[in-house]
Amino acid sequence: MYENRVVITGLGLVTPIGTGVKKFWQAALNGENGVRPLQIFDATEFRTKTGGEVLDFDASQYLSKEEIEEMGRSSQFAVAAAKMAIDDSGIDLSKENPFRIGISMGTTMGEPQILEKGVKIKYQTGDAGQIPSNLPRQYPCASIPANIARVFGIKGPHIMIPTACAAGNYAIGYAFDLIKRNKIDMAIVGGSDPFSGIAFTGFNRLLATTPDVCRPFDKNRAGMAVSEGSGVLFLERLDKAIARGAEIYAEIIGYGLGCDAFKMTIPDPTGSGGILALNRSIKYSGITPDEIDYICAHGTGTGENDKSETLIVKSVLGEKARSTPMSSLKSMLGHTMGAASAIEAAACALMIKHGIALPTINYSEPDPECDLDYIPNQARPMKLETVVSNAYAFAGNTSSIVLRKIKG
Amino acid sequence: MRSRPIVITEVGTISALGIGFSNVASSLSQPPRKSSVKDFEFHQFSSEVPCYAVRDFDPVEVLGKKGLRNKDNSTKFLLGTFDTGLKSVMESTEEENRPGICIGTAFGSVQSIGDFLSDSIVNGVNNVNPQAFANTVINSPTGNANIRYTSRNLSATISTGFNSGLDALIYACDHIGMGYLDRIAAGGLEEISYYSLLGLERTGILSKSGDLRAFALDSDGVVAGEGCAVFLLETEESAKARGASILGEIAGVGSAFNPDARKGSSGTDAAVHAIKAACDEAGIDPDAIDFIASAASGNRLSDQFEADAITTVFGTKKPVTAYKMFTGECYGASGALNTMCALSDLRNSRISGTGPAYNTIGDIPLVFDTVQKESTYVLVTSFSCDGNCGALVLKNVK
Repeated sequence: MYENRVVITGLGLVTPIGTGVKKFWQAALNGENGVRPLQIFDATEFRTKTGGEVLDFDASQYLSKEEIEEMGRSSQFAVAAAKMAIDDSGIDLSKENPFRIGISMGTTMGEPQILEKGVKIKYQTGDAGQIPSNLPRQYPCASIPANIARVFGIKGPHIMIPTACAAGNYAIGYAFDLIKRNKIDMAIVGGSDPFSGIAFTGFNRLLATTPDVCRPFDKNRAGMAVSEGSGVLFLERLDKAIARGAEIYAEIIGYGLGCDAFKMTIPDPTGSGGILALNRSIKYSGITPDEIDYICAHGTGTGENDKSETLIVKSVLGEKARSTPMSSLKSMLGHTMGAASAIEAAACALMIKHGIALPTINYSEPDPECDLDYIPNQARPMKLETVVSNAYAFAGNTSSIVLRKIKG
Repeated sequence: MRSRPIVITEVGTISALGIGFSNVASSLSQPPRKSSVKDFEFHQFSSEVPCYAVRDFDPVEVLGKKGLRNKDNSTKFLLGTFDTGLKSVMESTEEENRPGICIGTAFGSVQSIGDFLSDSIVNGVNNVNPQAFANTVINSPTGNANIRYTSRNLSATISTGFNSGLDALIYACDHIGMGYLDRIAAGGLEEISYYSLLGLERTGILSKSGDLRAFALDSDGVVAGEGCAVFLLETEESAKARGASILGEIAGVGSAFNPDARKGSSGTDAAVHAIKAACDEAGIDPDAIDFIASAASGNRLSDQFEADAITTVFGTKKPVTAYKMFTGECYGASGALNTMCALSDLRNSRISGTGPAYNTIGDIPLVFDTVQKESTYVLVTSFSCDGNCGALVLKNVK
């Protein structure tokens, strides 16, 4: 394995419980619920009428008018979060070699609002020629990292990994590898997804959405909540961070990927892919299960996911699972899709920094099949040196990353 | 130089060149097979749109009827590519060591996404087929391949526009390079869809003449194509241990981004950086490259970027070919299809010519008539008008 160590020195967050790291952290500590009646469109026809929208996002705070006109909402979120992360890290990118800075992003739907806009114009006017000529090029999900690169003048390796709701972890993992292998010195990494009518319709049709709030691991959980947001982390080589006196949130010490290879929309009830990913993350990080202080769960609030994830953790951690607290931030945020695991990784960095584990809200009745400590309803001060964050996805993608408090 | 050389031991493909790697060489010796499309389920174009469509592939014949009803064309192409080219290696390996899968695509299942949306508009949100929703995630084809072959070791999808196929190979090489896995089936995939064609038409980059002329001074645009190419990449050690035939080696890869491409700036430094990074990783001087498998597609802007990069590094002395003359612009599949054609030419000691001669941008020495030539290193490039720059050095192991 490679010697370079990878640390997190900057965070940027756009979430349904607040835009900006401070706002997010305070809201999360308070256990605020970001799943509310939808404002983006009239949801009367749907069985579910709630979701997680980012209501305080003002793109003009981060982008020029011209840039806003050339970007979809997903890119706008991502660029804003990237700007926050860069500012937070205190780095002056103009002094760095632009070829040694990478960008690695994830998403589930990319820029679905662009496609939705174009198709609706076609149906409303009956004329595809009415679709603005600058609209189609905003659609490909590759435009998300490309827009970050354009705004910040970054020239290094550049990738979009759209592995659905595990995409953030995949993106973080790839940049981790590139820094480890000395292909780059630093990277802007994360995930972004805007609220998607397609996703909302699809999850409603699959009967996977909760009618009101999200209750992960609770006996009465009724499904996930479609949501939106972006999380971006600024990663850099430890020695670079130390040399410039940067504040370090945490170190990323490894990650593991896997796949259920079971069904497109349902997790493997035996947890095969999740077990593989969690075991690999532990192996590649060089830790033992006993060292894990906390797990940030995928925790969607669906019957299948939460049961399967509980099984995964118990299978890998054994008896230690019962004394390892695990919480689902999706109880507060809803499911921000490809942004979810990036937001959760950022939240893990904050939890490590503050020594406080965030709660699973809306938890009232234990489920015999989900019988671990889910940090119900109240944030918990605790020792947080080594934490794991799980993320799973449609198509069976599984991932776990390991963060550790920096020592010395 | 890599500490763990990465070699190609199997290739599967479906494109306008036909089905199967063994047919590629003969298809590159014949005139391109163009066709056209007009009608899709929910939408129609007013006239036929020239393209390089896949024509010989019958999904039911190759894959069987079971489970195909709710699969879209992208997924059928990918599963068909695996079944016709990599099935034996996927099924003969025990599950624990089965190759992971990494696929690049620019638009993913955009036909499925757009049709799901169109269906909800036409028939109402409570009447759309819930089974079709699974196809709307960009990683759906890859996931379907993982499920079909019970491949649990990796399911990765890469989407970097025109560079997706090449970047999927780069991702797979990096993943193997980290020591996570010894074997990954990696490549690129794209289907011709109403929505992507409409987008290209509205953006104004589709050729009106229907003639794709790479690097042509008077090119009028690109002609869309579709298809899939997937390689089994593995460490040389792994290939030798299982007695596999080695078809070629991916000796080096490099990537960069030109943030000013949208402004029309060539950003030659980014493209040159990608080429030199790939050569450095291969442990060679760029002079050692025998020919260049370019990404030129008739898109004047990206062809100009590529010509500037090639002439900056190589002058006008290296032969350059453009396989998109045979496949069309297959977006996310292009990098993988170009790599496959380059591998075919390497193994057949030739450089495929593109056809009748014309004047080229920057006097790029495009190979019009096929040349018989023994080569050791090919540079496969991918430079897009969006700014993505990728390069891969393919080494002959004959």
